[in-house]
Amino acid sequence: MKHPPLPSPRHYLGFGLGLRPTHYETILNEAPALDWLEIISENYLVPGGKPLHYLDRIRQRYPMVMHGVSLSIGSSDALNREYLKDLKALAARIEPAWISDHLCWTGVNGVNAHDLLPLAYTQETLQHVVARVQQVQDFLGRRILLENVSSYISYPESEMTEWEFVREIAERADCLLLLDINNIYVSSFNHEFNACTYLNAIPVERVQQFHLAGHRNHGNYIIDTHDEPVIESVWDLYQIAVRRFGRVSTMIERDDNIPPLPELLSELEQARHIAQNILHPAVSAA
Amino acid sequence: MDRLHSLQSDFQSFLLEGDARIQQRVTGTEKASLQVRLAIYHDAYRLRLIEALDSNFPVLHAWMGDAEFENLSLAYIKEYPSTHFSIRYFGHHLAEYLATNATYRDRPFLSEMAQLEWALSQAFDAPDSAVMALDDVANIPPSAWPQMRFSLHASVQLLTLQWNVPPIWKAINQHLHTAEKQNSCRGDTSSTPSSVPSPSQGEGWGEEDINDVPAPTLSEYPQSWLIWRQDLKNYFRSLPVDEAWALAAARDHNFAELCEGLCEWIDAQNVAPHAAGFLKQWITDGLIRKIDWS
Repeated sequence: MKHPPLPSPRHYLGFGLGLRPTHYETILNEAPALDWLEIISENYLVPGGKPLHYLDRIRQRYPMVMHGVSLSIGSSDALNREYLKDLKALAARIEPAWISDHLCWTGVNGVNAHDLLPLAYTQETLQHVVARVQQVQDFLGRRILLENVSSYISYPESEMTEWEFVREIAERADCLLLLDINNIYVSSFNHEFNACTYLNAIPVERVQQFHLAGHRNHGNYIIDTHDEPVIESVWDLYQIAVRRFGRVSTMIERDDNIPPLPELLSELEQARHIAQNILHPAVSAA
Repeated sequence: MDRLHSLQSDFQSFLLEGDARIQQRVTGTEKASLQVRLAIYHDAYRLRLIEALDSNFPVLHAWMGDAEFENLSLAYIKEYPSTHFSIRYFGHHLAEYLATNATYRDRPFLSEMAQLEWALSQAFDAPDSAVMALDDVANIPPSAWPQMRFSLHASVQLLTLQWNVPPIWKAINQHLHTAEKQNSCRGDTSSTPSSVPSPSQGEGWGEEDINDVPAPTLSEYPQSWLIWRQDLKNYFRSLPVDEAWALAAARDHNFAELCEGLCEWIDAQNVAPHAAGFLKQWITDGLIRKIDWS
């Protein structure tokens, strides 16, 4: 299926947060100033009960995007049709602005390791993933976003860099990208590359969303834990990203050690402030 | 796709079984060795699945204590690698595992606790549906009562337990909720009703630790328990033997057949009002989705 040309300017939602059950009541009762929310799709791929009850109510008040962890786009197993069917049904229910998942594999031989495992950046993988992204996009009837994952190992059989691989996937599969700025930082530390080289290789028009998150630094390596505030160096990298990519929907992704909502809102305010200073310096100064 | 498949199979064999073949196909740096790097994946795989079990079996976790629950989880992870796209269903076989595995099967209390917690998790996100009200039943003509057939709410489950697991669950769950409130919202990110952080560090609760947690006791006769969800809240209650029979039979027998079956416990002249009493309770509890009578 051929998708319409990429819209220019890109679809923009503003500044959002990941929707977490612990914040359901606060969001409904206090209607915080959030532009949009990202849900973990799998949390709502259940038959009924509380998760869907809250989802529907919160969706009435906020734009949403769906972010999955089970697509396993790079696995050598066949695509999971049941999963895709459920995902499409959830999309019909909440009409998300877009649907994303990760550029990784999560299991093989029928097993799900429930982890975002790194791919070898080879021509073979590239062809395999491109074909699958196209299948998924045809099935869902829309472009998907793929997110770069943090990684801790590399494969000698890789034939290109991660950024070359990401760029090729996006261009050849005609999909969009969710750039996780923290993941780029983590991987650049773990694999000793320059994060700016990465950013500069990514086609501007393909980037639809940014993730910002925290991590744990163990000295010789960093683990992408999403359980801490965003660190200064990641904010710096975010600035560089905003300069390159312009106005991109941005969110803070906290998955563990979840603080009260105001804490995340003030972190999000920092992102808004940084972007505003770069994109509209005159307005900010006034 | 041969290389891709063999690389992923090697990686996964390492995750699941510690297979060393992957070491030939990945690299580290001077800063962090290959072993250190692979260990991140090895540990993350297990931690995530242990967390998933904890979120579905928080009271079992609290009862066993961190160390024993972790051992159980690790053994279970090895025996039943996840095959569903959602981690939500990973604990599906835990009760069965506890009932059959040599380390745990002589403590059937544990398997019964897992059965109860899994049933609660199933009730939590079972399909939604409207339920009947007492007024709806008033509109059914008395002459049609014998033909009434019942559809139960999808969350309704019946368990037969030998141990006093539900009151113990209730007491420990209360402690966990109190601890959760004290911890503000940090740590609780999961979406199940029983998903609360365990306050126990290292030690299990043991019967003597908490005064109001009943001691486990084995009853002489198996006891039936009803688990269901009403208005987004999970409930359970014990059922007398005749009501347990009637509710189980209500899935595929009409009211007349229920009355006939209940004659095993009730005099024939009292059986219809007795069964009607059950029905009234079931409707009040929100167990009845639909009644057909034609």
